[in-house]
Amino acid sequence: MTTAGDIETLIARVALQDRRAFSELYDATSAKLFGVCLRVLKDRAEAEDLLQEVFVRIWHKADRYRVTGHSPITWLVTVTRNMAIDRLRARGTQTEDINAIPAPRDQRPTPEAQAIALSESRRIVACLDELEQDRAQAVRGAYLDGLSYDDLAKRFDVPLNTMKTWLRRSLIKLKDCLSQ
Amino acid sequence: MTDTGNEMDDDALAGEYALRLLSREDTRRFETRMAQDPALAALVRDWQARLAPMADELTPEVPPRHVKRALEARLFPDSARRMKVTRRLWMGITGGAVFAALAAFLLLLPQIQSPGFVPQYSAELMSEAEGLRLTAGFDPDSGTLILTRMMGEARPGRVQELWLIAEGEPAPVSLGVLADTTEIRLDVPADLIARLPGATLAISDEPPGGSPTGQPTGDVLAAAPVVKT
Repeated sequence: MTTAGDIETLIARVALQDRRAFSELYDATSAKLFGVCLRVLKDRAEAEDLLQEVFVRIWHKADRYRVTGHSPITWLVTVTRNMAIDRLRARGTQTEDINAIPAPRDQRPTPEAQAIALSESRRIVACLDELEQDRAQAVRGAYLDGLSYDDLAKRFDVPLNTMKTWLRRSLIKLKDCLSQ
Repeated sequence: MTDTGNEMDDDALAGEYALRLLSREDTRRFETRMAQDPALAALVRDWQARLAPMADELTPEVPPRHVKRALEARLFPDSARRMKVTRRLWMGITGGAVFAALAAFLLLLPQIQSPGFVPQYSAELMSEAEGLRLTAGFDPDSGTLILTRMMGEARPGRVQELWLIAEGEPAPVSLGVLADTTEIRLDVPADLIARLPGATLAISDEPPGGSPTGQPTGDVLAAAPVVKT
């Protein structure tokens, strides 16, 4: 298995335009990042296209990685998610389409997945579980599906301002929980 | 939400920004502030790090192979061309050339001779169209590769370059430019010695001095497998 340290080394080599390192980085991380693209875009062809864009960006911007101060996976996931959401929003308004998006399932990982998960991800899952279920689903909808406040308010059938309040309170609770 | 101080407001705002929940105007306003306030940028960074592990809940999915191919062709057009050259080499080899090479090799074997040189592997590089025929003998113990030019020479104003195409190597590796002499002695780099047996040798037509790119740029003149003597 590729460790965070390995990926960090690969990113550093990619910043020096090392093609072999780029190929290895792709092999080590593309499945995870493709998972992110698929979840946000919910369209296979578009997700494939986006994944390509993501790696083009990684090839050109790997030298920026260090200044972000992120762990390598955080950086890769953040870049991918942001690009996916840019593309999602560029499609135009999602409002007519909202019912086409599958309702959020309970995303709690299986016991096996949990066993191998990083401690960080176990912590955020545990902290999400401390929120009321619909609030946790709203946070997941925002992060994993890239839903906007409008989308979320419609999805959970609450007024927009209520959704904003839910989300902001949930974020503060999450932060408190994670910093314990 | 009841205000519990600016600090907490900014923290939640940074979280909303990281989640990409802010409206376009609010995003612009936030980014203007962030550009002047490193503390705000740090809050966003913290949120990104806090939230990213949520992606662990997603099922990874290996993307189809064509995505990587398209990506590499787009980023590295020169190596896409290189792959085409390699494919051409392989096509030449599979197109009956192997059989011809082996047949010729058996006839020409006794002619490979150099004092104290006992080749354990050989290859027969030939092209009827080019009027070219070279035999190669390789001794892995010393790493010495000796080519005997039986027929033909480089095209006018051009040189011939020898390449190693080994399994697992992404691209042909140059073994050197071939002199127009009868016997050409090459020392195979230590790290390539073990790769030679079973690999393919190929000769390409190149400008004086050899390929400027480190990869074959001209026609592939001949190619043959390295077989046990």
